Amino acid sequence: MKIVSGLLLLLLAAGFTGCDMEKEIDLNLPEFQSEIVVEGYLEAGKPYRVNIYESTSYFDRPEPVLIPDAVVIITHNGKADTLRFSPFYDKETEKIYTHSSVTLVSGNPGETYSLEVKDARGRRVTGFAQFLPKVTIDSLEWKFNNEGKALIEGTFQDDAATQDAYRYQIHKDSLTHRRRENDRFLNDRLNNGKKIAFGTTYKFFPNDTLFITLYHIEQPYYEFLNTMDDARDANGNPFAQPSAIKSTVQGGLGVFTTLTYDRKQIILK
Amino acid sequence: MFYKELRVCFLLLLFFVLPRAVWSQTLYSLSGTLRDAETGETLIGATAFIPATGKGASSDINGNYVLSLSPGAYTIQFSYLGYQTLTRQINFSKDQKLDITLSPSLNELKEVVVEANSLNEKLKSTQMSVEKLTTQEAKLLPALFGEVDLIKTLQLKPGVQSGGEGTSGLYVRGGGPDQNLFLVDDATVYNASHLFGFFSIFNPDAVQSVDLYKGGFPAQYGGRLSSVVDIKMREGNKQRFSTSGGIGLIASRLTVEGPIQRNRSSFLLSARRTYFDVFTRRYNKMKEGVKDYNPIPDYYFYDLNGKASFELGPDDKLFFTGYFGNDVFGFQNKGFNFDFDWGNKVAALRWNHRFSPRLYSNTTVSVSDYQYGIKNNVGTRSFKMGSGVRDYSLRVDFDYQLDTAHALKFGATAVSHDFVVGRLSAGSSDGGTAFSSDIGHKAGEYGLYISDDYTVNSRLALNIGARLSGFSKDTSFFVGFEPRFSARYNLTESVSLKGSYTRMVQYVHLVSNSGASLPTDVWYPSNGRVKPQQSNQVALGISKLSNSGKYLFTNEVYYKWMNRQIDFRDGAQLFVNPNLDQEFIFGKGFSYGNEIYFEKKTGKTTGWVGYTLSWTNRKFPEINQGKIFPTRYDRRHDITVVAMHQLNPRVSLTGTWVYGTGSTYSVPLGKMVMQDIPGADFLYIPLYAAERNNYRLAAYHRLDLGMVYKLRPRYGESDLTFSIYNVYNRRNPYFIYIDAIKNGDESKILGFRAKQVSLFPIIPSVTYNFKF
Repeated sequence: MKIVSGLLLLLLAAGFTGCDMEKEIDLNLPEFQSEIVVEGYLEAGKPYRVNIYESTSYFDRPEPVLIPDAVVIITHNGKADTLRFSPFYDKETEKIYTHSSVTLVSGNPGETYSLEVKDARGRRVTGFAQFLPKVTIDSLEWKFNNEGKALIEGTFQDDAATQDAYRYQIHKDSLTHRRRENDRFLNDRLNNGKKIAFGTTYKFFPNDTLFITLYHIEQPYYEFLNTMDDARDANGNPFAQPSAIKSTVQGGLGVFTTLTYDRKQIILK
Repeated sequence: MFYKELRVCFLLLLFFVLPRAVWSQTLYSLSGTLRDAETGETLIGATAFIPATGKGASSDINGNYVLSLSPGAYTIQFSYLGYQTLTRQINFSKDQKLDITLSPSLNELKEVVVEANSLNEKLKSTQMSVEKLTTQEAKLLPALFGEVDLIKTLQLKPGVQSGGEGTSGLYVRGGGPDQNLFLVDDATVYNASHLFGFFSIFNPDAVQSVDLYKGGFPAQYGGRLSSVVDIKMREGNKQRFSTSGGIGLIASRLTVEGPIQRNRSSFLLSARRTYFDVFTRRYNKMKEGVKDYNPIPDYYFYDLNGKASFELGPDDKLFFTGYFGNDVFGFQNKGFNFDFDWGNKVAALRWNHRFSPRLYSNTTVSVSDYQYGIKNNVGTRSFKMGSGVRDYSLRVDFDYQLDTAHALKFGATAVSHDFVVGRLSAGSSDGGTAFSSDIGHKAGEYGLYISDDYTVNSRLALNIGARLSGFSKDTSFFVGFEPRFSARYNLTESVSLKGSYTRMVQYVHLVSNSGASLPTDVWYPSNGRVKPQQSNQVALGISKLSNSGKYLFTNEVYYKWMNRQIDFRDGAQLFVNPNLDQEFIFGKGFSYGNEIYFEKKTGKTTGWVGYTLSWTNRKFPEINQGKIFPTRYDRRHDITVVAMHQLNPRVSLTGTWVYGTGSTYSVPLGKMVMQDIPGADFLYIPLYAAERNNYRLAAYHRLDLGMVYKLRPRYGESDLTFSIYNVYNRRNPYFIYIDAIKNGDESKILGFRAKQVSLFPIIPSVTYNFKF
């Protein structure tokens, strides 16, 4: 359980603060076999945009290694659309995209999209994504404590007929990643068909403007997030078992999925 | 196949035992109880020895001994290390009872004389692969934070490894921490550690002896694959009231004991509590309001031990043992309240009955309960989670000294298991949202055993036994046949060869993918999908006693193969999962090695040197592409040097040095960049190789020094025990990770580097111990 091992680490760290118990070491890693990494989130009303690059040895440069010769095709309703390699930075999302097209995503619930990526080295990656129905935030409340700080509590209704997974984010003042206050993902394994609560600790102030976003995510994307979290946790947590990433794509690494969400904006008064 | 094995084994037993039953008519028994002359406590493992015939016997857990002899005159020596040897002449013509009290050695520092069993007893016994320890031995050795820990002392023996820096987990001959059976006065303990494994739950003041079986398991033990840790609690002083205790760096202890009815019944109550929470609370208070300060979690543990013993009559004794311990952990920050506590409760009632001088029985009923609970509150939302296991056990054990050649043990056990795999409730205080889950299983575990310790002649002795075990869960029923065999052959008076073969079956499994034992690990029963684990172990050894019994040298080789070992799928949901067994994967384990041990018991300088060369591997179709991989605790070389020197009657010096090949570890080979969805940070995701445990950490070595200085108080006894842990301040690797190198304002990642984290630097400590 991550919170338990995390608190244990905190306890151990507290015990020997100032003892300089960390040191840099030489680590000779064996040869690493790179793979194609895909990252594509389809959003209704937005153009097809994906990132394609290589996974690299850990000690290689931090910048992603692009694959200019990669051919990227998204197919929807039998219509194949080849995305153009033209890396650009999108100010609105604050993300870089390597491949894009002008085709807009319709994003109606139940619609499916498939992805195919090929490169000159003969590597091929495929993926499949489906739009899910929007799950709305039913209630949102905030409560102030004696110190004048507020917490947020919200609820939404899970559908008993389906296995569902969710991700919620809370941003303060703007939707930029720098103002992200909460980011969690969960599934309905333990509360299928019930009203599900989410929230924060007492961390907000009067007049804060908050954006609360509830994503209804695909199950493979939930598993990808989960294993990604496990892998990150294992690097630096001696109690965690390293985990292989469960990608949503085949033949490579990464994620190709849809984003369906409900978003509320509130001002804490 | 199974029934054939069973039949062969029991036929062998009958073959050896029955003919001797006829000869036994002309022999008589000399029996009695060996006790401490000062406290009246029974002495476990003391020796009654007839030098003229070379025959002898050790006292059992009730202090009882029995010798089968022909009529005649004998000189018998009764001895127990740390006590004065007593010699008695007897004329023997019928069954006779002879109770003996032994006085402690006049040596003021009697703790220097360690371990109850003499080296000669070790040489002559058919039992191999066993490590015996007394509290006195453990108390003398230097300890982390000055906290004497019996389990950590066992880690200094060959073939036994710790899970990591400072931890009290046991990894015995390639077995995992879940494969050790911990018994406290015959009651099972499920989680034998405090503070996430850094201290064991056994308060040394309340413990009399610890036996660790690494192989050659006697037939009365079953249920775990790799080791049995059999702990016997002290009974308490039967003659006078006494108080003892200690004040240490992080914890204090207090023990009160005395007679309930002089020489007939006694009690012992012992308590221990840590107090670093007192300091951390003050520190947190001082730092209140400091920006970015993360409060140190509140943490303490305590345990209470109790034992009462009663002599109901000449042939009946009653013992009650109780243990209650808890770890309490709390964390509060920004309205986030997190409480986490876990602990064991154990109670055992044992009735010892003597049918005749040759036949004893012990009937034990016990209950063992381990639970953990987590409570989390944020605003109006709350979350509770817990898990545990509770056992109700009944066991009956018989010891029957058939004649001079045969000592039989037989008995039966039945255990009712109640597993709470996951209990969870969450919701808001207004009732708007609520859900709960409660996943539990009930199961039964059974055992029947018989063994014969058969002295064939002065050179050859055999221990032949078998255990028939069973386990029921819903409609599943498993049966395990577990043959146990060991032999000793004396090449000369001072050299013996030993060999053993044992099979063990484990029906309950620890659900943990942490690589260590955490309090949140849950136990899970065998069922239709999760079959019992099984191990087979073969061991061969040679022992040599030299310099008139001053030195013992042993060398043992072993090979252990294990079936149906358990691991978990990547991304497994181990918490509150009603389909938990779907997350299990199954494989095989192999472990082999050579353990060399040299021990000196007498003189001013005593101690031992141990060296283990070993390999520990696992093979799972779903891991490492189906190829063999080393476990986290695979260590090629392991060296231990333990020395104790009595400088003068008031001062003893001790030192331990340990060296181990570095543990294996999984390090990420590559990375991928994830920008994540809009509004989220971009991330570097570590990519692990298909090879599990692909990197070996730097070697572990450490020197600890200690000194016991006896004070001269006006009343009673007292001493100051000094310890220095990690004298040369070695930064031993605890784990490694890859860290990002950032520019000055931390906005840009420039590259990556590997870092090694160590846990304990040099730690001096002092403990004041007293007794009056």
